[in-house]
Amino acid sequence: MPRSLLNLSPRLRAPFFCAYLLVQLGLLLRAQRTPDLVFGFQMFNASSQLKISLFRKVRRHGRVRVVPVRDGVWESKDRAGTRHTYRWQDRVRDGHLNNLEQFVHASYGLDAQLYRLEFALRDFVRQLPEGEETEALIAEVDTRKNGRETAHVRLQADRQ
Amino acid sequence: MSAFGQAFRRFFGEERDALLLGLLRLALSTLLFFNGLRLVLEFYRDGYFADYFHMPLLPETWLPSRSGYQLLLGLQALAALCALLGFCSREALLTASCLGLYFLGCDRLQYHNNRYALLLLAFLLAFTPCDRAFLLVRGRRHTLPREQRSAPTFARRLFQIQVSLIYLGSTIGKLLDADWRGGQVLFMRFAKTPAVSATHGLPLPAWIIEILTSAWFANLAAKAAIGSELFIALGIWLPRTRRLALWLGLIFHVSIELSANVELFSWLMVASYLAFVVPEVRERRFEFARGKRRAELLARLVAVCDWCARFEHGPLSSASTDTAAFYVTNRAGQRATGALGLAQLAEAIPLFFPLWLPLALYAKLSARPGAQAASSA
Repeated sequence: MPRSLLNLSPRLRAPFFCAYLLVQLGLLLRAQRTPDLVFGFQMFNASSQLKISLFRKVRRHGRVRVVPVRDGVWESKDRAGTRHTYRWQDRVRDGHLNNLEQFVHASYGLDAQLYRLEFALRDFVRQLPEGEETEALIAEVDTRKNGRETAHVRLQADRQ
Repeated sequence: MSAFGQAFRRFFGEERDALLLGLLRLALSTLLFFNGLRLVLEFYRDGYFADYFHMPLLPETWLPSRSGYQLLLGLQALAALCALLGFCSREALLTASCLGLYFLGCDRLQYHNNRYALLLLAFLLAFTPCDRAFLLVRGRRHTLPREQRSAPTFARRLFQIQVSLIYLGSTIGKLLDADWRGGQVLFMRFAKTPAVSATHGLPLPAWIIEILTSAWFANLAAKAAIGSELFIALGIWLPRTRRLALWLGLIFHVSIELSANVELFSWLMVASYLAFVVPEVRERRFEFARGKRRAELLARLVAVCDWCARFEHGPLSSASTDTAAFYVTNRAGQRATGALGLAQLAEAIPLFFPLWLPLALYAKLSARPGAQAASSA
């Protein structure tokens, strides 16, 4: 008869059973309160869409200006005067978040994608080198929840 | 001992035939292997996930290095392969599933419910005696004799509960979402169907387009989808409704597989239904008439497709005066031929299971009392 370490003794079976169920139920209930419903078994996508447009907040000649980031790419000089290219798609590979200026399907719903976008903006800003002129990265997002009228959300990640 | 104590002992001490758990292991380890293979391909195509934007559920310091990740990916694929072949299969299943869960924790962006469900079910299967049948490394002696296959299967109950939870979680999510409840989500999806169909060279007739793009149809479909999921989640627990719940689930997943991209989800859920099949084997009988070509063909088909070992096969005795080509005797002792016999075959053979309800309904509608079935119990 095959012997396995995973043959739980009769004494361990009930605690294992209860512990597993409690963890699962806890995760399932917790999932209903998270934006991306992680661990919630939300198997079917909603039919929502979003369009992301990126902008940078920069200070030039003492004035704060908001400039569009075309195709997710911009160039700027560092303190030494060397030009650098920054590309949103190089850092953000997720197919829903790196498609800019066009409506894309919001997998797991709008809340999930906006939640992830907020993190992506913060992550991108954190990666910018010292001396780069961007003060904040802004995402202007048009949303269409399940075919309804377009709404607008603005997300901003400031440089610390 | 109190009634509760007896029920407790029965539940946790239950010993059943583990042949089907072996079959389930084959299915789940194959899916695990493909899931691991996808990660390996993504690694070589897109690079190491932590080199770009990721959202760990675990603390960042718990994430593996690039080479560590590469190593763990290889280990996961190897473990899934070992589980498939039956080499230290339960330990391998546990390793592959735990590694998969760890990877999900490393990056929330890689989280998908179907992947999570696969890993949880594989994790639970590791605690069942799924290493007593279909051990491919043992060649022809891949399955232990019946007396050695009987083992405690309490973890099978957990597996079944997990399957129910998946459907319940999905149902609750839809019920809480007004757009899902009201049919708006499906309305948007159906509205795209005519254009998608036309681009595939299959333009739909106007009357179908009218139905697909109507709000009432989407509303009805949403209620049907939610009702179906709820029925599957609960119906699989009751012996009277289990067969219908499994049949509905099968049709539900086939339709999802055809209409949406859900990775391995449909395959996983259909495979998981094996956990709800009565574990004991060869409790039914299939007899066929020698010399009748169709009957012999059917007998061969049954022998090849009877993966769940439901039937004892054999020719009808030569003394039999019956003219029927075959007889099927089910677990209740009901002996049948014709459409009802075929329905009884279909209900026990996975590949033919989609035909079970149509055949059973046809048999019921067309049968005269006592014409097809004769109790032999």
